[in-house]
Amino acid sequence: MLDAIDKELLKTVADLETLPKGAYNIRKNGQLLGREISANINIETNKEGNGIIITIKPGTKGESVHIPVIVSQAGLNDVVYNTFIIGEGSDVTIVAGCGIHCGTSKSQGHEGIHEFRIGENAAMKYIEKHVALGEGKGQRVLNPTTRVFLEKGAHAEMELSQIGGVDSANRLNEATLGAGSSLFITERVMTDGNQTAVSRNEILLEGHGSSTNLVSRSVIKDDSSQNFYATLDARAKCFGHIECDAILMGNGRNETIPALKALHPDAELSHEASIGKIAGDQLIKLMSLGLTYDEAVNRIIRGFLKK
Amino acid sequence: MLVVKNLVFYAHDTESNAGATGRAIIDNISFTFEKGKFYAITGPNGSGKTTMAKLIMGINKADSGKILLNGDDITDLSITDRARAGIAYSFQNPARFKGTTCRDLISIAAKTEDERKIREIITRIGICSMDFLDKSVDSKLSGGEIKKIELATTIALNPMIAIYDEPDTGIDLWTIEPMVKLLKREQAEHGTTTIVVSHNRQFLEAADILIIIKQGKFVYNGGLNDAIPLLNDLSLCNYADICEGEYNARCYR
Repeated sequence: MLDAIDKELLKTVADLETLPKGAYNIRKNGQLLGREISANINIETNKEGNGIIITIKPGTKGESVHIPVIVSQAGLNDVVYNTFIIGEGSDVTIVAGCGIHCGTSKSQGHEGIHEFRIGENAAMKYIEKHVALGEGKGQRVLNPTTRVFLEKGAHAEMELSQIGGVDSANRLNEATLGAGSSLFITERVMTDGNQTAVSRNEILLEGHGSSTNLVSRSVIKDDSSQNFYATLDARAKCFGHIECDAILMGNGRNETIPALKALHPDAELSHEASIGKIAGDQLIKLMSLGLTYDEAVNRIIRGFLKK
Repeated sequence: MLVVKNLVFYAHDTESNAGATGRAIIDNISFTFEKGKFYAITGPNGSGKTTMAKLIMGINKADSGKILLNGDDITDLSITDRARAGIAYSFQNPARFKGTTCRDLISIAAKTEDERKIREIITRIGICSMDFLDKSVDSKLSGGEIKKIELATTIALNPMIAIYDEPDTGIDLWTIEPMVKLLKREQAEHGTTTIVVSHNRQFLEAADILIIIKQGKFVYNGGLNDAIPLLNDLSLCNYADICEGEYNARCYR
């Protein structure tokens, strides 16, 4: 059963007011809370019992899978290994995410290791939100890992966001792209207080004609810090771009290191990065439209982090 | 009615934070902008045109003097409060935002998120395509596109006083005439007091009153015809040595 806290977390991380329609797997405090499969989407517990395998039949179109995780048990660090096998020619949306509710002084955390095997000419949209709520003083820790393998002509779009309340995050995104495949990643992270977030991205462009675009938007408030590392490793004729922007507020700190490795003469790689406070001309423009300074800051941040 | 009285603004050394230096950028200007009139302010580069406009909007703070809007002293009001009092400003180099769209800016200006009303504003402005609405106002926009959006946000405010700083910068020749007509229409239909900072012949011709500013002082205000000798005076332009004799420089030099 879902209690009030569960419902709040589900709504925040997966936009769910109640149990979703279609296939889903809801994990709460390391245990299965609910699961539903569909004719085209199967979900089963893996052999080790520490995660699930989601198998999507070839040609499945327009279906979605929700796999949110709730951690509300004091002191629990939940580790889960999930594998997604996306059949060739399918087109699906996967909504993941983890919501922590911390009500005590004990640390709570979740480490989701997600491996995606995306078949030929399949398309996947992956939406992952991380948030932590609650009045407790315990550390809220989220360390997600995604490993993506794109077959020939496959396409993946990943929206990864950490909305707030997470004290420590250490993310790793790895991807290997086959011929003609494409991967778009957009990561949005906001930190405040003394929070820290690290994102490492290793993208291997292995297939001829593969392409990737990696966008990172960071808002770093108070005494928090975020570090962003991204490497494009091009082994074929391919295209890759990294765009990372960070807005510093208060004493926020950021280290951004994009790396481009062109190991093929026809590789085209580029990056753009910017770190700084909100530009004065943006604030003045919005104030000249009648917003106060604080309202202008909020609108700029909202725009910067929105989809 | 907007009145500036004995307005003075000194050059500020922002690098050393030393405050005002000895040179007056705006040198004791007093002037009354009548309600519903169209003013064009022109003058050489560095003469104080943009500084004057920014003083009215509150982007620059006057070192001395007063600014009155319909009799109320707004000299110490913030940019926000001046905007709420009915003054709008269209920037020469508009800010670019990552993620904020044209729709967002118009929605803030017009204080509505209603799709129908936002589309009505775009239609009324005319020079912006509907395709602009969901474009992010970022570095991917051309100079001309962002200037059109800038102008749209100013008009969406329905201001009492609209200030346009070099509205033709980056705009193609074919758009300037519709832009002039748009500002004239806003003036006629909404009684907008319009102040355009420009060198462009078409804006100067459209104005009810032309103001020439030189070395921080208004050296002329009146009709265009009487100003021709002054405008033809090459000493008005700092770049005279470079462009003298240039065919169709699109200004009165």
